[in-house]
Amino acid sequence: MVLLRFTLSEEGVNALRDALACLNKFSDEVSLEAKRDKLVFTALNSSKSAYAAFSFATNRFFSKYQYEGVAQNREKFFCKLYNRALLSLFRARTGDPLHDPEKGGSAIERCDVAIEDEAGKKSRFIVKIACRNGMTTKYRLPFEVSPPVHAKFDKDEALHSWSISSRTLRQLMDHFGPGIEYLDIHSDDDSTVNFTCFTEKVASGNEVLKKPLHTSIAVEKDEFDSFDVTEDKLHIVVSVKDFRAITQHAAFLGSDVSAQYSMPSRPMQIRYDGDGVKCEYLLMTVGERGAPGQRAKKTRTDARPAPQAQQLEAAASRVTSNAPTPAPRPTPAARREPMPSLRPTAPRQSQRPPPATLDHDSLFVPQDDDYQWEPVRMNEDEDEEEGDARLEWDASDRPNPSAIKMSSVMANQAAQRSGSGPDNRIEHEQGQALSYIEPTQRLSQARQFGLFND
Amino acid sequence: MRFKTNLKNIRTFSKLVAALSSLEKIAWLRLDDEHVRFTVIPDTGSQVWALLPMEFIFDNVQLQSAEAQNTINLELPLVPLQRALKSALNATSASLRLTKKDGIPILSMTIQTSTVAQGNQAGGQGSYSRFSRGDNNGPGHVAGGFGDDDDGIFNIEPLETHLHREREKIITQDIPVRVLHPDNVEMIMQPKVREPDVHIQLPPLLQLKAISDRFTKLAAASTRASNSAVATAATSNPKLELSANMHGSLRLSLTTDTLDVTSQWDSLENPELDPSQLHCPLEEHPSTTFREAGPDKWASVRVDGKDWSKVLSVGRLEGRVIACFADEHALILYVYVPQYDDVQGEDCVVTRMSVIADPLLAISLQAENM
Repeated sequence: MVLLRFTLSEEGVNALRDALACLNKFSDEVSLEAKRDKLVFTALNSSKSAYAAFSFATNRFFSKYQYEGVAQNREKFFCKLYNRALLSLFRARTGDPLHDPEKGGSAIERCDVAIEDEAGKKSRFIVKIACRNGMTTKYRLPFEVSPPVHAKFDKDEALHSWSISSRTLRQLMDHFGPGIEYLDIHSDDDSTVNFTCFTEKVASGNEVLKKPLHTSIAVEKDEFDSFDVTEDKLHIVVSVKDFRAITQHAAFLGSDVSAQYSMPSRPMQIRYDGDGVKCEYLLMTVGERGAPGQRAKKTRTDARPAPQAQQLEAAASRVTSNAPTPAPRPTPAARREPMPSLRPTAPRQSQRPPPATLDHDSLFVPQDDDYQWEPVRMNEDEDEEEGDARLEWDASDRPNPSAIKMSSVMANQAAQRSGSGPDNRIEHEQGQALSYIEPTQRLSQARQFGLFND
Repeated sequence: MRFKTNLKNIRTFSKLVAALSSLEKIAWLRLDDEHVRFTVIPDTGSQVWALLPMEFIFDNVQLQSAEAQNTINLELPLVPLQRALKSALNATSASLRLTKKDGIPILSMTIQTSTVAQGNQAGGQGSYSRFSRGDNNGPGHVAGGFGDDDDGIFNIEPLETHLHREREKIITQDIPVRVLHPDNVEMIMQPKVREPDVHIQLPPLLQLKAISDRFTKLAAASTRASNSAVATAATSNPKLELSANMHGSLRLSLTTDTLDVTSQWDSLENPELDPSQLHCPLEEHPSTTFREAGPDKWASVRVDGKDWSKVLSVGRLEGRVIACFADEHALILYVYVPQYDDVQGEDCVVTRMSVIADPLLAISLQAENM
């Protein structure tokens, strides 16, 4: 039984991909929650210190959206998916138009998604992708029915807020180097706001030189669209990795980013909107060690010493503690949604595919073309190399399986030599899989459909 | 110990650091009254000794040291430096200062920058309108009196936009360093190599690098294919053979059990030597012997393909590169770094040049004996 069906245009697929790529930086798993009026993707990281939610308005974002619901729960449906698998579907053939932009060969034209869930049948997340060249691919992903965990944020508590253009924020973040852990945002005086990065890793002796670049940026308050932080010298510290993931996605959408927070060790909410999508994040802020933030908190009634490993969930339960019956956390599923009784009791095995060969950090597009001066890399997967630098067999002209086997043998050797190379292994597997395909058409013909992630 | 300077030629500086860091991640920086010297000495592979005049990348230098000849020796990680310079690329101004933070010495780079692109455009318009207004108003109006005009309320706006857009940001990038004691570094000497047999200007490095890299990969692949049984034994990197003569030819070749490939460049320049810079009469110089022996007299070295690829990364500086071959002994590259930012600056366009004299950047490539 199909309980949810929706269709995405090319732009929709791109937007969804961006969102999933961003969620992927928080967690391997993505929770989907479908209602009649919105489809929400959420992720909570493993340390429960960061939460991301993308809410797509069904009437604006999708070309078509049809929600049936299940008998047990008409209101909403939820499931959990392995994000990398999901991402790789939408990502698979986006590289191709670069190779031949005119045809736009295997660019995605339309994407139909259906979710089937029925007792006694295989429940699947089915994605049908139609490419410009007329090729249609269908994927079935397994999912796990478990309710999403939402982090809660108390707006009334968050007195401080600012908003800034995503482009400016992205530019700021670009100045920070690798290896840093935390970002401290505080206003110094009336006119400037400081963004400072730091790390807690202690370095000594020879290690001193391995310390990451320490960066601080003084920004004029005018740079912000609004800056409303009443407490002077309030240091608010968040994880750079999370913040970067956010600024990166926000810059895609190009909208203004607004942040709301109260004090250290309480969550910070970051929000921005796109066309038909609302993005919301909750980041747990780190307790400030320098006293200024703490000192100013004395007026608050519920101020308490900040534990080092704060969790959004803990915060959420604290926030909701006014509710009459806060159920114990370990069984959030039972509390939130009664599980449909027809469901098999054993949790479904999530059949995780091998990790995608594509590097998800490839979102970090290098600013310059300096790569050509990089030293030669011999043992790497040559996928990233330019076509003319490739030394593998060019199978496009000769679709004989022996050549393919040869390359897989070579890849295998490479894997052996390099100890372990997941990429190489995959190549090997792909090579084997290829050799089992009945040779009905030339590889060069098949290749243009973008079947092979070259 | 005090060191403070403004930065200039940041793009070149940044490329230089990028080139150095492809060979080694930590450099020895030596500063004195006249020169800046970057030295990288990897455990294996080629060394770089880059000697730059102070004013090439620095401006308004304050240098003060208790050590002999007013020198400062620092150990400097290149990746953070490169990252910091990247921040400074579009800066309105940037300065560098040796200081201490939490007891750790750092090179602190202070960068002043304003919002780029859109911001500058708006700023440009703002200042343009201000100038044109000044003309229209004539001498009767003082510069600050825009609001006094009848139509003042309309004119304040572009000025505000101007102020709003030209917002400055101050970025501080702190690079951790270690101060080296002179005793620890004075032992390190630039390798002495005998007078070269052949000196030749290399073809465009990007071309040379592309072909070299291809050969290197080819060598790896052919080893892989030919002796698959002992593939694990092929841990050593492939060797390329480089040869040059004094008649404008350079040859790059790869020989393995199963294949033999060569690329040759002709009509390259063998620059003339400046006799005043030589330790022996020009007639007795080995290159003269090689020249007289004709085009079949080659000086050859074998280089590690991977290392060579790293060395060729200096090509990003887009300078003229002279290769000096000491037959079956060593290869030294002299890279003449052009100045981008300063059009007036004396750069590498030297028609008659001395190979040994005052190179801006020397890469000495230790080659394997054959």
